[in-house]
Amino acid sequence: MKELDVRGLSCPMPLMHTKKALEDDPAEIMVHADSGTAKANVVAFLQDAGYMVTVDESGEEYTIKGSR
Amino acid sequence: MAKRRVIGPTAWVLGGAGLFIGAVAAWLVSQGNPGNMGLCIACFLRDITGFFVGGVTNQGAVAYIRPEIIGIILGAMGAALLTREFRPRGGSQPLVRFVLGFIFMAGALIFLGCTVRAWLRLGGGDLTALWGVLGIVAGVLVGIVFLKKGFNLGRAKAVAKPLGWILPTFAVVLLVLVVVSTLGATPEFATQTKAGAFATGDKPPAVFLKHDGEPDQVLKPEGATLAEDGSIVAEDGTVVASAESVAKAAPQPGGKRALLWVSLAAGLAIGVVAQRSRFCSIGGIRDAILVRRYDLLFGVVGLLIGSTVVNLLFGQYNLGFTNQPIAHNDALGSFAAMTIATFAAMMLGGCPFRQVIMGAEGDADSTTAVAGMLVGAGFMHWASLASSGKGLAPNAWPAMAVMAVVLVAIALYGSRKSA
Repeated sequence: MKELDVRGLSCPMPLMHTKKALEDDPAEIMVHADSGTAKANVVAFLQDAGYMVTVDESGEEYTIKGSR
Repeated sequence: MAKRRVIGPTAWVLGGAGLFIGAVAAWLVSQGNPGNMGLCIACFLRDITGFFVGGVTNQGAVAYIRPEIIGIILGAMGAALLTREFRPRGGSQPLVRFVLGFIFMAGALIFLGCTVRAWLRLGGGDLTALWGVLGIVAGVLVGIVFLKKGFNLGRAKAVAKPLGWILPTFAVVLLVLVVVSTLGATPEFATQTKAGAFATGDKPPAVFLKHDGEPDQVLKPEGATLAEDGSIVAEDGTVVASAESVAKAAPQPGGKRALLWVSLAAGLAIGVVAQRSRFCSIGGIRDAILVRRYDLLFGVVGLLIGSTVVNLLFGQYNLGFTNQPIAHNDALGSFAAMTIATFAAMMLGGCPFRQVIMGAEGDADSTTAVAGMLVGAGFMHWASLASSGKGLAPNAWPAMAVMAVVLVAIALYGSRKSA
């Protein structure tokens, strides 16, 4: 499983990191985000790449999990 | 990497948001806002600066608390609170962001519009905005060079709760001030352009109100009156504006405005839509080139279509390079100014509209960038660097050279840290 931390990053860095992480085609990926925009962008990006996505919200953080 | 679709379902959300914002903006022009300026983040923040310090910064013609800004902040804040996205955060080089906001505003006031208004000008048929749009593309490309080198201002973190409330609090203060000013009790320190005021091209200009299309009441210089031949004459009998100059007088932008509650309601709706959709006026081009994702691009395309259609419906569409409202046709100047503004916005992580929305979501760094824009606006008018419809100010090019150097320095600094 690939794990990424995009907390506190301005646009478009969350997407850049996610795109890079998908280059080796991981079966599972987990992304930690803390802003609504980063969460929405990463979720949409993973779905566009064919992942099944779930989001856990705990406190100030979103944990986005993608698998395929 | 396996095949990824480059246009996803959020494209339609963003396209719809852009259509809505563009249509409302063009409609606001029919309600009294300045031409092709139904919505302009830079211009409207500048007008707010004018309200507070216009007497010092020579902003008599552009001084009014634009209720659209208040609405956008409160609408976005409400949407963020309801979706639990309101989070006080900050600490990612706030001072650098202040400078970037300042430079963004400087570029916008040389072009005559922010990255949102550039598209709206085009949607009104103003082809001189094309130079600005080319500048946006150039600014995005320059920004991408540094993003690829690892440009990063560092991570924002959770901050003390009150810091997240600065921009919403400011919006409430502005709301109180604009309401009392509209009721006639403008605070003594404040400057507010009179609704419907006209100004002549003289130095200093004569300012007057019209009634039934005819010059009626002279506001400036104080004590001056309208002579029978149509000129404006000072108390001591000297002519301050010839009849010809009075006939050619133009409306002051700050005096062109929709009704307070109309602007406020429109702003609220735009704020909610922008917060939910994450509409950005530069991010679409950026994402298309940088990560090959086209959803965000639908936002500005929608904005362009929405504003074009509504402008056509209301007979406000004027295709061409000449006689465009609050615009000049200095191609190189517009291109350079927008390249600078967009490069600054790229390093902020989003256009000024997004900075206002994120500030309303509790992002103290974005609030700092907005503060930089407010201060930058005052500076540009105080230093006579802002453009007019006639073209660039004499010192605009040296000022842009300095700003370009500062931006490259910031970009190199941000790229070096993470290298």
